[in-house]
Amino acid sequence: MAASGNTNQRRHAIGEFLFRHETILLLVLVAEWFYFNSVGRRFGTLDNTFEIMRHSAEIGLLALVMTPIILTGGIDLSVGSLLGLCAILFGKLWRDVGMSLPVAAVCTLLIGALAGGLNAVLIARLRLPALIVTLGTYSLFRGLAEAITRGVDTFTNFPDSFLALGQQHFAGLPTQVWFFLVVTIAIWLLVHRTTFGRSLRAIGFSPEGARYAGLPVERRIAQAYILAGVVSALAAIIYTARLGQAKADAGTGYELFAITAVVLGGTSIFGGIGTVHGTLFGVAAIAVLDNGLVHARQPREMAGMLTGVLLLAALGAGALPKLLAKLRAPRHSSAPPS
Amino acid sequence: MATLLELRNVTKSFGAVRALRGVSFALEEGEVHALLGENGAGKSTLIKVITGAYALDDGEIQIGGQSVSHLTPARARALGIACIYQQPALFPDLSVAENIALRLEKTSPLHTVGWAARRTRARELLHRIGAEIDPAAEVRTLSMPEQQLVEIACALGAGAHVVIMDEPTASLTQKEQHLLFAVVRDLRAHGVGVIYISHRLEEIFALADRVTVLRDGESVGTNPVDEINESALIKMMVGREVTAIYPPAQSAPGASRLTLKKVGCSQSGVHGIDLELRAGEIVGMAGLVGAGRTELARILFGLTPADTGEIQLGGQAVQITDPRSAIAHGIAYVPEDRRRHGVILEMPIAANTTMAIHAQIFPGTWLRSTAERQLTLDFIRDLGVKTAGPQAPGGSLSGGNQQKIALARWLATKPKVLILDEPTQGVDVGAKSEIYKIIRHLAAEGLAVLMISSDLPEVLGMSDRVLVMRGGTIVAEFPHGVDAHDVMAAALGQKKEAA
Repeated sequence: MAASGNTNQRRHAIGEFLFRHETILLLVLVAEWFYFNSVGRRFGTLDNTFEIMRHSAEIGLLALVMTPIILTGGIDLSVGSLLGLCAILFGKLWRDVGMSLPVAAVCTLLIGALAGGLNAVLIARLRLPALIVTLGTYSLFRGLAEAITRGVDTFTNFPDSFLALGQQHFAGLPTQVWFFLVVTIAIWLLVHRTTFGRSLRAIGFSPEGARYAGLPVERRIAQAYILAGVVSALAAIIYTARLGQAKADAGTGYELFAITAVVLGGTSIFGGIGTVHGTLFGVAAIAVLDNGLVHARQPREMAGMLTGVLLLAALGAGALPKLLAKLRAPRHSSAPPS
Repeated sequence: MATLLELRNVTKSFGAVRALRGVSFALEEGEVHALLGENGAGKSTLIKVITGAYALDDGEIQIGGQSVSHLTPARARALGIACIYQQPALFPDLSVAENIALRLEKTSPLHTVGWAARRTRARELLHRIGAEIDPAAEVRTLSMPEQQLVEIACALGAGAHVVIMDEPTASLTQKEQHLLFAVVRDLRAHGVGVIYISHRLEEIFALADRVTVLRDGESVGTNPVDEINESALIKMMVGREVTAIYPPAQSAPGASRLTLKKVGCSQSGVHGIDLELRAGEIVGMAGLVGAGRTELARILFGLTPADTGEIQLGGQAVQITDPRSAIAHGIAYVPEDRRRHGVILEMPIAANTTMAIHAQIFPGTWLRSTAERQLTLDFIRDLGVKTAGPQAPGGSLSGGNQQKIALARWLATKPKVLILDEPTQGVDVGAKSEIYKIIRHLAAEGLAVLMISSDLPEVLGMSDRVLVMRGGTIVAEFPHGVDAHDVMAAALGQKKEAA
């Protein structure tokens, strides 16, 4: 009996794997790749692959730290604005305050932590809804960036040694990809291999249940938002190095790309369910689509439309098995007593 | 006198739980018929069958002499059945007249509103029950009994002949009660039949014509109130079937583990709790729903910290400010609502088992799946959990097995004091006996156990001492072997026993 149970379980597990979001997404990604490779001449080259990575590093970083937040059932709309604010402050600290670039970078990361801390206090301590809090800081951070630059000041003329971070290669890969890889591995371990990630999931499934189990609910939620602040600041520095300038509108709309990538990657917006590698596939699917359309000589505007279709199709595919099961299941006549 | 409502041999089961086992019940015109029974005796289920919320499995319902099959809530309302709940279900931001209109008015062809007619109608209905309430007043400005009166007005306006009142006086002051009683008597005078549910025996004797006692989903008997006394009623309520075997105490209680001195919490209405729990003893906590038993457990576990009194653990005064500090002090709480608080249904059994001991089993925060798996397998074996394995989600287990996992989570913390809140609620008989054995075994190993339960035989069978709560405080203490009658009398507030 145990043996047959095992086979059944294994068959069930295989079925689950095939229908899993990550698997579907990986297939979409492969299909995208082959299609663009067949229509665009330069698409499949190593240089272009590096180009895709280079361009997706910042949104990728935001998506990575968005994942733990969405796992708790929260959301952070402020990361794109925070990227803009941090880019400006980084430039300001270097050019106007006269800090060396490494010191300015460390200060920028601290500012990111502080900004994330503001979200954390309002959401975890005061228990205000994350959507509203980060909608507020979304405007606040962008507004600060515009006020500081009066909307016209831009920071340029960074030394080549700094620009190398965003524009050169290191050990065979675009330099920022190394940063991205380190953050990816760190976040993956954090979410999948530590009690931190376990707690985030428990909170996402049932905040009350997590509290009754004695988990430090407030602290874990706060940490997720602070982490998002720090990594947004890192993304700001990489962004500045890639474009060679810091402007107040840096990273506009990035928060929505990040959320799209996370949800596309199979993370439930209600919390609890989701993986970091899923998010990675989500980022890749969007980035490949964006780049591939250029090579296929299609208008860039197609990218937004197709991303939308991709997201809705992925969500629909995820809901399909449940819908089928519901149609097949017999109707219940009564509910159990409450 | 005509019979308004008659139930014959009504049965209703939920899975393996038989909530109603052939109940017969009749309500006459102009009668106040009280319904009495312990928690879980089947009162709520019976009401839900009458209001059409539950479809009955077997038996017959007659309304106004007509047999009705497939009763739905809409059908029940149309046939003149109305239910007034403890918490009135009105819209607080709308006026009294608007609330009444929502229940009673039909939509006009052009969806227009006749404001004058609406207010006149409301005033008439309120006048009929002698309530002095302004129809234009917002419901949120009304007191609880005034809101109940609005509900009654709605019921009358809908032409109800049968009015069900579910513990209507639970949150009323003395004066408000008298107002409500006057309205009930007025309804009776107008030929309306009232089903009156209450735990307060004095109300039943003051108001009701007949009383029916339910026990374990069966009707124990129906009597005119002038032919029965309080003691006889209590006798009918208790004496629930013994469905499980209770393992005997194996050891004498040891050193004091937990002492409470005048502990209270204004937020949850618990006050003046004096309590001592000793190592190796099981203390049962009886009382009616709303007596403050779960609220006391929530104080001890730091969910709603105490604001008065002193809590001592092992002779040391301690502050319990949140669940983490309670756990650090060796207190474990297996909550009443297993599915919301006890187990995270979507997460694997293993994750649920180790959830309260992250710091101990995962030093340095890295998950160690081998250690977690081994610990979970040990608990699965020791507690006899029936499951596909440690990675099966908590929601895949039956109620009894979920309860064992909820228990395993807390045993893993190696607690000194274990609080169990309704440990066998929704658990089948076989698993019940197993859980009893586990609890007794834990006590024998030196754990101090506080067991809150609404299952009176369980409290009497398992406890070395029985405490009874009522109105937010402990009102009585009994030794093992106490008579069920005495415990129920104390829970109902009949006799004042020395604590």
